[in-house]
Amino acid sequence: MTNEQLQIFLDRRGADPERWPESERAEIEWLIAHSAEARAMFELAQRLDMALARHAAAQAAADAAVERVLARLDAPLPRQQASFWRLPAFLLDWQFAPAWPRMAALACCAALGFAIGIAGLDRQIDRFDRITVAANTIDMNSVVFETEPLIGARP
Amino acid sequence: MAQVARGDRRAYRWLVERHLPAMLGMARRILGNGADAEDVAQEAMLRVWIHAPRWQPLAAFRTWLTRVVVNLCLDRKRRASWVALEAAGEVEDPAPHAGERVEADERERWLAAAIADLPARQRVAIMLTYGEGMTNAQVAEALDTTVSAVETLLVRGKHNLRRALGDMIE
Repeated sequence: MTNEQLQIFLDRRGADPERWPESERAEIEWLIAHSAEARAMFELAQRLDMALARHAAAQAAADAAVERVLARLDAPLPRQQASFWRLPAFLLDWQFAPAWPRMAALACCAALGFAIGIAGLDRQIDRFDRITVAANTIDMNSVVFETEPLIGARP
Repeated sequence: MAQVARGDRRAYRWLVERHLPAMLGMARRILGNGADAEDVAQEAMLRVWIHAPRWQPLAAFRTWLTRVVVNLCLDRKRRASWVALEAAGEVEDPAPHAGERVEADERERWLAAAIADLPARQRVAIMLTYGEGMTNAQVAEALDTTVSAVETLLVRGKHNLRRALGDMIE
């Protein structure tokens, strides 16, 4: 690794060896230990990192500033922007009835259907349907208007 | 956040009290100006309220809020140009007996001015790294960019700082 590459590495990863990737740490540490120029670059990077961290810490928000912003947010809040999916989500979330009566009604329907099937009521209904259909298919014209085939009498 | 989306003001207040100090500190570090930072933090928190019904939990709330604050800071920096190095004022020092630390204050003032002179995204990348303790991947998420782009910002930013500060780096 050249000095230029080391500088780029220190700028990318910082001067804290704990934040360096394991794969590169040994090589960098060896270079710093064996090269005066590399060591100088590392120490300069450490000083810059410390100065930046100190500067950042000094810029922390003061309690008074936090209180000021909180006081400003006490004012009436603006209207929230409704989502396009709000209505469908509302309907999906809406409980039309408590859950247990719906489940009880469903269970009753299932039990009634099962009982009808077991008792054969459906077959009786089916037979009644067949009689009705047969009655409907008799030719009423022939019964009322045609001559009686045995004696030739007309109605 | 689900309660805030339903218009629960108590939940909103709790959310604000929890996240405001960190967001205000971050805005102050990025902008270098307390008054602007307060405006940005207030605007970010109002956006939380306004957009809560449309918020999708695709990322952690903190990550989303960080991105909102960073974008507001970048917008503000685009609108307002930074003061020149010579025009930079004294840096506030909260420590007592600040007069005894003239030399340290001078270095701090130069550092603050050099950071202020950085291009906006370089400054944001450096402040998120050193102020918030974020990894490069977290900074990339906050800036909505790639890790390699963040590393490029850090390399260029630190190069600019070294050039501006010279031997003033303690």
